[in-house]
Amino acid sequence: MKNNSINSSLGIFPKSWTEEHAGRIPGNIPIWVGILSELTEFGIFFAAYFIAKFYYPDVFIEGPQNLHTSLGVTNTIVLLTSSYFMAKAMSFIRLDNKIKCERYLWLAFLCGCLYLIIKTWEFYWNNLQGLGPSTSEFFTVYYYMTFNHFLHVGWASCAILWVIFRLRSGAYSAKESSGLEALAVYWHMIDLMWILIFPLLYVLR
Amino acid sequence: MKAIGKLEYYLFALIGITLFNTFLGEQFASTALVNILIALTVIYKGFVVIDHFMELKGTNKNLRFLMRLYFIIFPMMIIISAFY
Repeated sequence: MKNNSINSSLGIFPKSWTEEHAGRIPGNIPIWVGILSELTEFGIFFAAYFIAKFYYPDVFIEGPQNLHTSLGVTNTIVLLTSSYFMAKAMSFIRLDNKIKCERYLWLAFLCGCLYLIIKTWEFYWNNLQGLGPSTSEFFTVYYYMTFNHFLHVGWASCAILWVIFRLRSGAYSAKESSGLEALAVYWHMIDLMWILIFPLLYVLR
Repeated sequence: MKAIGKLEYYLFALIGITLFNTFLGEQFASTALVNILIALTVIYKGFVVIDHFMELKGTNKNLRFLMRLYFIIFPMMIIISAFY
């Protein structure tokens, strides 16, 4: 199977990390290298947030009060729902139900687009209020985190379109769905990062 | 009528927790208690997505451990930041 060949060809990990000992790797190893790299990248952003908050506590109390909280909440719900749609798509490909799988992939894609539209509107709204990356240390961190996350949602949404194209061409089935699963775990990672970003930027004051 | 499945239950729980977090943030100043509550809900949300949406429960234990560790370290930082 293609997935097995990818996962077993990288003999760079200790034996305890092999699939035989640690359990099946969802998707494939390359996507997990990507995911762990992204987690490191966002981890640096989160560390920067806490360091900046330590040095400028007043700015970080005032900053979130200037944001459009409703848009942040809406985007959180949209991303959580998209993760649900992605999980449903995975469950249907395992049943070999490609029609329903594609339907849920389209729904996840629409959620991704909706997120991008809302986020763009939020950036525009911030701009109207005179808020930008150089307004304060809080907004510098805010723009670094949210714009970076925005880009991730953007290219992952494009990846959903690619996976839909591959699904239609018969690349995925109940027996072989590693490519679809790789996209699913990546999409959930993006959702997880927003789960951390949301309270840091919108809730904690 | 089809009963609500496990995934739907988790989705509703996640949305409910998000709204609860927002309520806490809007209505209360960031006291240590509020920060602890928010950190705990973030841990729960992270664990639910990792185990049930990402489906790492029952698959690779090392990847699951790393993902869950991430969702312990940063929420702990939220708690620590309450004492700055």
